Formats: sequence, C-alpha cells, structure tokens
Amino acid sequence: MRRILYFDNAATTPVDPRVVEAMVACLGPEHDFANPASAHALGTRARQLVERARAAVGARVNAPPARIAFMSGATEANNLALKGALRARGAERKHLVTTRIEHKSILESARTLERDGVAVTYLECDAQGNVTPEQVDAAITEATVLVSVMHVNNEVGVIENIPEIARVCRARGVLLHVDAAQSAGKIPLDVAGWGIDLCSLTAHKINGPKGIGALYVRSGIALAPLVDGGEPEIGLRGGTLATHQIVGMGRAFELADPDVEGTRLAQLREELWLGLEALGGVTRNGNPKRCAPHILSVSLRGVDGASLLFALPDIALSQGSACNSSVPEPSYVLTALGLSDAVAQSTLRFGLGRFTESADVAYALERVGAEFNRLRALARGAPAWCSS
Amino acid sequence: MDYSSEVAQRFRSSQRAGALAGETGSIVCGEAEDRSLNVWVRFCVRAHGGRLQKVQYEVFGCPHTIAAAAAAAEWLEGRDAGALNAWDAHVTARALEVPTEKLGKLLRIEDALRACGRELKKTEFGDGSTNGSIVDAKRSR
Repeated sequence: MRRILYFDNAATTPVDPRVVEAMVACLGPEHDFANPASAHALGTRARQLVERARAAVGARVNAPPARIAFMSGATEANNLALKGALRARGAERKHLVTTRIEHKSILESARTLERDGVAVTYLECDAQGNVTPEQVDAAITEATVLVSVMHVNNEVGVIENIPEIARVCRARGVLLHVDAAQSAGKIPLDVAGWGIDLCSLTAHKINGPKGIGALYVRSGIALAPLVDGGEPEIGLRGGTLATHQIVGMGRAFELADPDVEGTRLAQLREELWLGLEALGGVTRNGNPKRCAPHILSVSLRGVDGASLLFALPDIALSQGSACNSSVPEPSYVLTALGLSDAVAQSTLRFGLGRFTESADVAYALERVGAEFNRLRALARGAPAWCSS
Repeated sequence: MDYSSEVAQRFRSSQRAGALAGETGSIVCGEAEDRSLNVWVRFCVRAHGGRLQKVQYEVFGCPHTIAAAAAAAEWLEGRDAGALNAWDAHVTARALEVPTEKLGKLLRIEDALRACGRELKKTEFGDGSTNGSIVDAKRSR
C-alpha cells in the first residue's frame, strides 16, 4: 500500500509504540488484566497501575491525581462537566456561559440543558477566534453556574486566555470548565495554578489510545453522575475500569513534552505556513500569535476544499473539523470567525504530530501547491464569491 | 465521501479543461452558478456547420461537479449543436454514481449548457457570425 502522509493529528494520533507496550502488559492471561476493584493480589497490581497512570495524568496538567476520574474520553467528560454541574444545582441558579466555537460535545450538551430549562449564553469570538475575559465577565449573571471555554480550538488552533478567564470566574463565584482535549500535553496547562474547576482530558490526541479520557473535578464540587454503577470513579462514574486503556493514557501523558515537542512542532508549522503563503491566495485562520503548535488552518481560496482533499489521496488532511468532514455545510467555527461559506469550504486543517518530520512538510507543500494550482486554473474565470 | 473510479478518472483529466482563449471562429460561452451549492461552471464551444468542434469547461466545485463537467465536455465534442440541450444531468449522475443529494450541482451544468445552446442559436444559427468574439450567457441561482 502506498504510504499516506499523516497530517490529521488534530483529529487523532497514532499510538506511540511505548504506549502500546505498556498497554499490552495489561492484556492476556500472563499480564495485569485483573479488575482493579478486586481485593486479590492481581486486582491490587492492576489498581496500582491505574493509580500510577492517574498520577502521571495529574502531574502533566498540575492537578491532584485523586481528583481525576477516568472515563471514555473527552466527549463524555464534557457531557458530565456541563450536565453534571447544572443538574447538581438548585433550580434558582440555572445559567451556563460558553462560546460559539466549542466542540460539538459542549454545544450539544448545552442544547440538551436548554431543553431542560437552562439559560445558555453563547459568546461570540473575534475574527481570530478569541473570546476575552471581559466578555466572560459581562455574560455572568446571578444565575450563572458554570462557564465552559475550550483551551485550544480544534479547528483553528487558537489558544484561549484561560488563566485570565479563570480569574474572572473565581472573582464572580462561578465554576470554570475547560475542554483541554487539544491542549493537554501539547502546551502548558496548569489546572491547579490557574484555578480551573473542571477540566476534560483525552489520551488519543497525544499518542495514547482512543476510548479513554478523564475529567478533573476540583475538590468540593458536586456533579450529578451520568453513569451509575458500583464503586464509581471519585463518586462520579460507575463501571469496571479499563486498566489497559488507563495505563495507555498514563504513559501517553508521561511521554508528552510540551516544551520540547511543542517547540519542534511550532517550527514545522511555521515552515508549512511560509510555504503555503508563498503560493498566493492562501490565508491563515486563527490568531497566529496565540496558536497551538500542532494546528494550522488555512483557506486555499478559489478551490473547493473537498476537491483539494480528493486530489491529495497521499496526504491525510481534514476539511474543517473531523466530525464535520462528511457534512457539506461549512464549519460553524470558521463561519463564526467571519469566513464566507465559500472560503470556509476552501479551508484545510493541517495537524502535526510526534512523527511529523521536516521532509513530510516539504512533500506536503509540493503536492498541495501542485494540486491547488491545477484546481484554481480550472476555475480561473470564476466570479469573486468563489474566493472571497 | 466515497467517489467512483469514473469520478476519479475524470476529476484528474485536464483534457478540455480551461478557457477557449485565443481560438478563432464562432465561440460562445454559457455559465451557471449557485452560491448555496458552492458551484460555478462555464462552457465555451466552437461550432462550425452546426457541429461542436471544440468544447472546453471551467469549473469551481466538488469532485463530482468537476468530473461531471469533464464528462459533459467529452460527450458533447463532435456532436450536433442540439446536444447542448440534450445533455442530461440525471444520466451523468447515474453513470458517475453521484449521490442524489448532489444532483442539484449537476443541474447547474445543465443550465450552463442550455445557456450555451441559446447563445449558439443566436449567433451561428440565428443572427449571424460572432466574428470570433466571445458571447457569454449566464444563469445564476
């Protein structure tokens, strides 16, 4: 099979072989397969592995390990954070503040809560994808229970000012939830230092396995559980712990190095951007000064993104977010940034990762440049709306 | 989105792609667009004696639209000018295995070809020669 260059690391990442090794050690009859809740020696060994993983996750984001609950992923964590926090509060305080560019697991949870009678304020971002602490402050009312703002946007990579937003929330006495699925392990995240109350984490964006994530819940915060069952994770989620998945997540968080890897990826991202910019007719989306190192969102004006993707079968890329890729409507995140439908649909997201090298960037630039030029030549006489 | 091998082949073909710039003779063009569908397409034809000697297309849109425009140009070339009115988006959609929800995009190709046909009728068959100038007809939605 022809090698396909992988530039979709914002959607998911390949599992690091060192993570695979740690996970395999928890499978099979000769391994640490036992139920971590069991009282026997094998259960104790599995429990110790789970606690070691919990410590590794906590250490990476500066959160007390005892307040980290493992679950199926960031989507479940986001659901629990929003629904759990709102449903645990009395009827007199029912207001949620979030932004229009959150992941769908936040927006759809918010819609569900609206149907339950919760008032929701959706903050608009500026043309670069940022919401300000002042906007958050202005949106908070007496009825506000929770503010939920993502750390790094999954489509354009913009980094929100979480430390300042946390300061506002603390001053106003409301909870702050942060969806850190795209940031944990990629850029510095200081859950305790910044005063974050709830934080969603996932493994598969940082070379861990899919199907495992976590929610950090600051001590003293009550959440209404979504999944009932025996011996729930920090009182929140029932079900047998998936030792191998948790161990994989722990190892992935141990291996993640925002300082070294983040710097390397940021350099590659800039190489990529400079090459694309030189093609002409390419614009960058999101705030370039506050951008995660692994995401580059660009609009290649005058061509349809689906056509460009189809012309590049040797490169794995996303048009808009992965969740939206088969849907013809333009990305709601890109239109929230003010892009026209045509420009939003001409947008590609490059996701760089641990195994991306400079030679890959050079190859991608050559191929994308060639196909972009071919397709825009096909539409040379097209009206202005096709590219503006 | 999955695409048929027919779509893949025609999408990659550069034959008949681009404007008919610099060509002499009677050239007419017809175009159509639909912003809501993210589609624009233009056909230019050179006809002589009621026959389509040369057909070229320009297109902005998805792979299905590009492939269908290429298929239309290929089918038309060498045919009688009346074929501009006979090209059927439904037939091409079936041949290329275009999903039903994308038929609207292919209908814009049909619109552009019909516009081309009307212009051709006005010139070569109606009001006389265009003396090499390009005549455009446009249909927008």
